[in-house]
Amino acid sequence: MNFNLDFMVATFWVSLTGLGVTLKLTFIPLLLATPIAFAFAIIRLKKNQGFYQIITFYISLLRGTPIVLQILLFYSLLPSVLNALFESLQIELDIFSLNPIIYAYIIFTLNSVATLSEVFRSALLAVQNGQLEAAKTIGLTSFQAYVRIVIPQALVSALPNISNTTVNLLKGTSLAFLMTVKEITALAKLEAAYGYNYIEAYITIFVIYVLLATVIQLLFGFLEKRFGRYKYPRNREKENLYA
Amino acid sequence: MLEIKNIHKRFGNTEVLKGVDLNVEKGDVVVILGPSGSGKTTLLRSINFLERADQGSMVFGDKKYSFQKASKKEILEVRKKTAFVFQNYNLFQNKTALENVTEGLVIGRNIPKKKAYEKAVEILTKVGLSDRYDFYPSQLSGGQQQRVGIARAIAVEPEVILFDEPTSALDPELIGEVLQVMKQLAKEGTTMIVVTHEITFAQEVASKVIFMDEGRIIECGTADQVIKHPKEERTKQFLRRITNDMEYAI
Amino acid sequence: MKRPFDFWYIFEAILDLLPYLVSTFMMLILSILGGTILGSILAWTKIRRRPLATGFADFYIYIIRACPPIVLLFLVFYGLPEILLRGFGIDTNHFSQLFFVVITFSLLFSATMAEVIRSAVAAIDKGQREAALSIGLSDMQAFIRIILPQATIIALPNFANSLIVLLKEGALAYTIGFIDVMGKGILMIGNQYGAHALEIYIALGLLYWSITIFLEQVFQKMEMKFAPDKVYRVEKRSEKERRKHEF
Repeated sequence: MNFNLDFMVATFWVSLTGLGVTLKLTFIPLLLATPIAFAFAIIRLKKNQGFYQIITFYISLLRGTPIVLQILLFYSLLPSVLNALFESLQIELDIFSLNPIIYAYIIFTLNSVATLSEVFRSALLAVQNGQLEAAKTIGLTSFQAYVRIVIPQALVSALPNISNTTVNLLKGTSLAFLMTVKEITALAKLEAAYGYNYIEAYITIFVIYVLLATVIQLLFGFLEKRFGRYKYPRNREKENLYA
Repeated sequence: MLEIKNIHKRFGNTEVLKGVDLNVEKGDVVVILGPSGSGKTTLLRSINFLERADQGSMVFGDKKYSFQKASKKEILEVRKKTAFVFQNYNLFQNKTALENVTEGLVIGRNIPKKKAYEKAVEILTKVGLSDRYDFYPSQLSGGQQQRVGIARAIAVEPEVILFDEPTSALDPELIGEVLQVMKQLAKEGTTMIVVTHEITFAQEVASKVIFMDEGRIIECGTADQVIKHPKEERTKQFLRRITNDMEYAI
Repeated sequence: MKRPFDFWYIFEAILDLLPYLVSTFMMLILSILGGTILGSILAWTKIRRRPLATGFADFYIYIIRACPPIVLLFLVFYGLPEILLRGFGIDTNHFSQLFFVVITFSLLFSATMAEVIRSAVAAIDKGQREAALSIGLSDMQAFIRIILPQATIIALPNFANSLIVLLKEGALAYTIGFIDVMGKGILMIGNQYGAHALEIYIALGLLYWSITIFLEQVFQKMEMKFAPDKVYRVEKRSEKERRKHEF
């Protein structure tokens, strides 16, 4: 096998120029989706509202179909929908000159809303009912009890799942090449096709993705430690100080 | 000061409270005894509107509240006049011992942070936890957690503190430290309604003992009347069983 | 859109697509088999806690879970033929795409299954094994007769989730030219020069969605059926706890 190491190094640097796009594709949808997903989770927990059915339907649909299909479908549907929308609002905007990354943001956000709202829902359910009751008995309103006691605990217990969602989203962004977005995978594909160095190119981005996933997990691990202090025993020295 | 009239509550098909009346004077320590399922916990929770009773009313201070119809505002009003100590403590897991105590002061009652802090320190010292301010609940023993629970309750200076079996989740060797704090409170004239199985505690501090069974009050009087000289057969049976259990435990 | 949206064409497309579910299911079943076998080996390695082997298993699981499925698919599709040709003299030119798809998704599924199996076995109380040994069962017998049946039931919900994830990731197989239901849909769009693309995507979406819902329902029923005593036990326990609280 004539394994081309120089090519790998070269591809590594070329692919890295797509790193910014990949990171944007991961974190912008995540940030956009979080508040919506949270609202959805609360509506789903309260059940009796009219939105409940629609949201449940939405989540089931988005979680029941492959993301690659969602990308293909929305990518062929969105331009005409947006075009019609802008025309009816009489906004002068050539939809076909839009950067395709906008579509990618929309699609990944729609998808993350479904995943995250399930994450938040189970996290809110995991906070013991007694916490809410205790907050009420000392005179907090329901709203105060949620904001100060329930939600902070839910967020901490949701962190591992948010971390997973983020890694999955990162993996999902590798499909953005279907929308001609130039992220890591798209660039590597181009390089590979150019010189038929497929193995080298894909091993290279394999490594990049593993590294990125590692950084994300370390980051969330840190957040968990930082905000989940209350879950762990104190360290010894401090214990002695008080004993 | 607190007068409950004809409270009814049903869960599905079972009626848990079948018309209970209760009168609590300022400085009273009311101990409620009774077998499992007698409705004593539900009674306590209903007073704080943690359960919505189906019928009945309560006069608290100079105001009357309907259990069934009380508005959100009225409920908050009652909760600010009362405090609740839970069987399983229910300390806020994401707050330190000190923050658990200040929470109700700063957020519930708009007391300035600094003042709340000073008060919390004072109260935690009083319950013997002066060295555990910045410990999180998961870092405290059950007895310590329950003492924080009591501190959280007294901090808000309630007119009545409701205790829901405060010692029954504790290991035997930790019960004493919690009862000690409660006895201290009783001595200082705090008004308390206590659901418990600690007969000795009832005998020592209760100004009024109530025996409940199947959603009704069976017997009511001083500790001497109800515990030493019960009139009703059901009370006698219950007390026999409880004292037997205690002997077994020893 | 090049042509007006034709609602009824969705149903036509579904009928055209249905036969190709056979390939989809074939790929899934083979990948589940491969993935479960490999996953069991990994789980077994981790349970035995030999440091070096466990480290290797952990590393394998970690990188597979961090890698986008499409990258792994491309790597297997373009890389494996070269390795087989240069290393073992096997020419893969006549191999069908199914081969590469199954290898890829077996690798992916094995990493998930390793964790599913390991955590299910770990969830069984140690006393179960000890009790089995105490009445004279061998280690192997204890595992097969006592641990495995319980672990299988515990693993069911996670297995169902992993299966649905696999179903959805499997849709990527079309990118290397595998003709399953997704591949057929893409072909149909290509043959009509992009006309009716939307209808075909919707048809595909409906098919995948129904399969997901169907799988969820089946597994929910299975959980209920195989673990009636589990439900019963939980009820009993909470009843006891409730009494303790009241008393």
